[in-house]
Amino acid sequence: MRMPTDTGRDCARAWEAMPWVLQDSAAQEQTEWLMSHLSECDGCRAEFEQQKRLRLAMSLPADVSIDPELGLRRLLARIDAPVMETAPSRGAGGSWLTRALVAAVLIQAVGLGTLGARFWAEGTPQPAYRTLSQEAAHVPAGAIHVVPDTGMKLADWNTLLRSMQLQVIGGPNDVGAYTVMPAGGAAASTQVVQRLRTAHGVRLAEPVNASP
Amino acid sequence: MNDADTDADTTDRLLLQRMAAGDRTALSVLYRSYHGRLSRFLSRLTRRADIIEEVINDCLWITWQKAGSFHGDSRVSTWIMGIAYRCGLKALRQHGSEPVDEDSVPEDRMPSHDPDEDRELRDWLGKGLDRLTADQRVVVELVYGVGHSLDDVAVIMQCPVGTVKARLFHARVKLRNVLPGLAGVTSATKENAP
Repeated sequence: MRMPTDTGRDCARAWEAMPWVLQDSAAQEQTEWLMSHLSECDGCRAEFEQQKRLRLAMSLPADVSIDPELGLRRLLARIDAPVMETAPSRGAGGSWLTRALVAAVLIQAVGLGTLGARFWAEGTPQPAYRTLSQEAAHVPAGAIHVVPDTGMKLADWNTLLRSMQLQVIGGPNDVGAYTVMPAGGAAASTQVVQRLRTAHGVRLAEPVNASP
Repeated sequence: MNDADTDADTTDRLLLQRMAAGDRTALSVLYRSYHGRLSRFLSRLTRRADIIEEVINDCLWITWQKAGSFHGDSRVSTWIMGIAYRCGLKALRQHGSEPVDEDSVPEDRMPSHDPDEDRELRDWLGKGLDRLTADQRVVVELVYGVGHSLDDVAVIMQCPVGTVKARLFHARVKLRNVLPGLAGVTSATKENAP
């Protein structure tokens, strides 16, 4: 880089010294040296005059007029305002909002975690409903669905089951069907099904796992 | 630092001590004392009076809150100008280069009318400052307007002294090339600028 007047090291030194001499913060010797140089160097003298004008222009009051008393009243009001309203600057509102949202999400996460842990500890309850796509409750192989007549007496039903050594393991369902199994858990034979079908008071008897 | 600066700094430190104890009168004195230089300093960053007022109040709000934690590592004015600089940059980031909405500016905040001489000087300066970057304008303001040393400016702008020197150098070269010269400055001389 070339220095202001290309006249050598003295001009570069003068260029460096000018702001601080103008500020009156330069050492006495430095100020005296600069004055001496300026008396001999037209270029630096012109530059120094321009620097003086720059300093004068920079020292003019702000040309944007702002009432200090109004600003002070606003600042004091801000200090007196409740803590939540006195967060500094408009921009801080954004970070406050962010912190509040993060806190809300954390609280929700903790709540969900607690609920999950509670359900886990209690075991998952069976739902009170079943969709058609879900498997039906498990029925052992060899069971028989039996629909007794509506007029069949309970004593007759019990007698029939005892005579065939059957016991009820489910039902009645919505259509009045019971699920029965031979006592001891063995699969019911075709003969048992056949006997039920011919028994008095039985409307329907079908083995559970029979193909349609 | 000359005697006047030393006296001013002593006064500022006393005001800070009183502010740390909750003395609002001290805050009012400090506010009025700094309002002018902060306004001019911030006007080098933005022309919007509403933003300047907001930044001044943010700056002195922080000064009020942190008065008790001022350790005296620098002059009080250096500390406060540093706060103002950071608040100013933050405001610029938030508001960007939004144009001034003249309708939103109260009449009492409109630029005051200068005497002819001052207006001429402002126009002359304005032509130069328009060509500088924001950081260069800030350095020129702090050195020529406020009268800070290179070390002070480095503290205020939180950068190395070498960076301040470079900004000042380039700002001066630009101003020298842009500003209409005074008597004795020829265009040929300007061409020789660094």
